Amino acid sequence: MSLFPFFHFLQSTEFATSIRESALVYPVIMMTHLASIALFGGMILMGDLRLLGLAMKDHPVVDVIGRLRIWKRIGFVIMVTCGFLLLAAKAELYYPNPFYWLKMTLLALVGVHALVFHRSVYGNLPAIDRAPQMPGTAKVAAALSLVLWIGLVCAGRWIAYYEPAKTAVQAAHR
Amino acid sequence: MLLLASNPIGDALNSSEYIFPILECFHITGFALSIGTIAIVDLRLLGLGMRNQTPAQLATDVAPWTLAGLGVMLISGPMIFLSDAAMYLRNPSFRFKIGCLLVAIIFNYTIHRKVAMSNGSSSGLSKLVGALSLLLWVGVVAGGLFIAFY
Repeated sequence: MSLFPFFHFLQSTEFATSIRESALVYPVIMMTHLASIALFGGMILMGDLRLLGLAMKDHPVVDVIGRLRIWKRIGFVIMVTCGFLLLAAKAELYYPNPFYWLKMTLLALVGVHALVFHRSVYGNLPAIDRAPQMPGTAKVAAALSLVLWIGLVCAGRWIAYYEPAKTAVQAAHR
Repeated sequence: MLLLASNPIGDALNSSEYIFPILECFHITGFALSIGTIAIVDLRLLGLGMRNQTPAQLATDVAPWTLAGLGVMLISGPMIFLSDAAMYLRNPSFRFKIGCLLVAIIFNYTIHRKVAMSNGSSSGLSKLVGALSLLLWVGVVAGGLFIAFY
């Protein structure tokens, strides 16, 4: 089953149309999306670098990852909400774009990553601090997180550079 | 002005369709690292986030990563600029961004640093400095994004 009817519906809603047609609202949403990446994406990078033993080694993992968690969550919600609004405004344009789907795949993998490493790493921070040295699982989790998040940002940027074949453009405008 | 119309870096950038987006990816990752690490200190100055550490400890320990991020940002940024220098110079969003950036960098390494190192985390001054720092860096990002919409 094609998801295109859903994308068409999304873009046709009055709400999405008003975002698309506003000269100010659309870029402000995109700016908020980007600013949340800057503010909270950087905190995710620091958490990963801490687990890899590269940054903030004098401070417990509980503090570096745990204390910033609520802020990363707030940032994540703002980022995803803005991202969804950007998608809704131009859904039919995103639909044929492979970088959009790559980005969504990476986003889904971020969710899988969180589930896979919850027990051993992210829900187990005090034990990691007590361990004589950084457990290998934590380092693997951090390295994967770095790859996923940097990949997400790059895929997102590349969405703007995809030039669809003519048929795809025509399909999107039908 | 001839340099602005044509220069080796700009020409190289414009010769490949991939170099420009690759530079942008470096630029975004660089500013995420620098702004994210500065935000960790800002939150602390506001009395939030990593409260088990002092602002001075945080400012000291994130400093190399802030600098690394700034370095990546300040190499990729000017290269992007040189790809179409005349357009950027005419763009009011770009000028706003550069203004915010200069103030933000100077602020970060003077007042922001001094207040963080003095550890007065509950004072009004710390909160003001933390909030101002966040505002300046969001201004830089906003100015950058609006270049494309002007």
